[in-house]
Amino acid sequence: MNLEKARYYSKNMDKVMRTDRVFLNNPVMIAGIGLAPIIITATTLYKASIIGLAVILLLTPTRVLAAALSRYVNPRFKAILYSVCAAVLFIPVYFIEKAIFGVGLELVGLYLPLLVVEPIIIKRYERSQREPVAIAFKKGIRTTGGFVVALLIIAATREFLSSGELFGVAIMNMPLLPIASYACGGFIIAGILAASWRTARNIFKRYINVEAKQEL
Amino acid sequence: MSIINSLMTFITYAIVAVAAQNVLFTRSLGVSRLVKLVDDGGAPIKKFAIMLSAIQLISAPLAFYSIKIASNFIYLDAIRPLILVLASTVAFFIVLGIIAIMSSKTQLKDLKDYISLLPMATFNCCIIGTLLLTTTSGYTLLQTLGFSLGSALGYVTAIILVEEGQRKIQNRNVPASFKGLPITLIYIGILALSIFGFTGHMPAI
Repeated sequence: MNLEKARYYSKNMDKVMRTDRVFLNNPVMIAGIGLAPIIITATTLYKASIIGLAVILLLTPTRVLAAALSRYVNPRFKAILYSVCAAVLFIPVYFIEKAIFGVGLELVGLYLPLLVVEPIIIKRYERSQREPVAIAFKKGIRTTGGFVVALLIIAATREFLSSGELFGVAIMNMPLLPIASYACGGFIIAGILAASWRTARNIFKRYINVEAKQEL
Repeated sequence: MSIINSLMTFITYAIVAVAAQNVLFTRSLGVSRLVKLVDDGGAPIKKFAIMLSAIQLISAPLAFYSIKIASNFIYLDAIRPLILVLASTVAFFIVLGIIAIMSSKTQLKDLKDYISLLPMATFNCCIIGTLLLTTTSGYTLLQTLGFSLGSALGYVTAIILVEEGQRKIQNRNVPASFKGLPITLIYIGILALSIFGFTGHMPAI
């Protein structure tokens, strides 16, 4: 890493942590948001792609629409605003998903419609200050990115361990850990991956500090 | 006799929802909220449980009848979440009204806590997930009510179990990287494994 970058990261680590939703402050691995669909449906990459596409289509538009309408709503009722916006926007999302995946949607069951109250979509209502539309858009995109990355990593790990496949293509002759496809296995694997993620993040932060000091 | 049968149906569905089909351990519903509640430490779990159970019991019949009215609509699957969110919103205002009436008649100091917990107890995966399950599985009203109450109680039981486990988990032997969210998830996974061992199968999603 070059000197400027190392210094920038070292000086602005708090700011970078706040804005980086993919690695340093991943909503799933660090904050534990959006775990319900991940634990149950992210057992294969195919199922993960159904949920991932729905989140891509739902998260940012919900956040932007709710941010635009929040000035007309009493802050006490922001939770209603966010949930209703998500439920209304879910209607076109459902038809897009139906057109792409067809009966495959049944594989994710209630976890697709459940996204309308999933914290990854509506958690912003908990904060009292109003969010400008442009910031809602930016943060929506970043949070979506972080969620999708975590979703795919967990789904790939679980599919590989539970069936020895990736996207349905056989890689191993026998499954290594069949329980990875169950809810209990999902919790345990998500926990181990979250710990690994945190270790990687701590190593990165240490590396940045060492680099910045050496260069100075 | 029919009253006893009805009561038995209600109790059976409630027990199934608390144990064998616990919303958290078998379906992972509300896990993000639970992690937050447990992380907060002094979270008012008793108050949250009361609000959650009230919302669940009020929204269940509302959702049941709303979905019944809309059952002939071809695109019901697309509008189902909106109907359920609206049913929960009605339950939200009913509970808010009850709190407002109570606050004018009593001098309870912690009514503000109840109001602040109300959105969290209304718009979460446990409530909407249970409504989705009961309305898509063709439950009768009695089964819906029993399952809804059981789900709320099951979720509260899960919160208490995980919070109790936190005390044991937070010791020095846990590696730094595992502290917090990772060890909580592993702990929930072990509890879920015990229920899986008890039932022997995963419930349909």
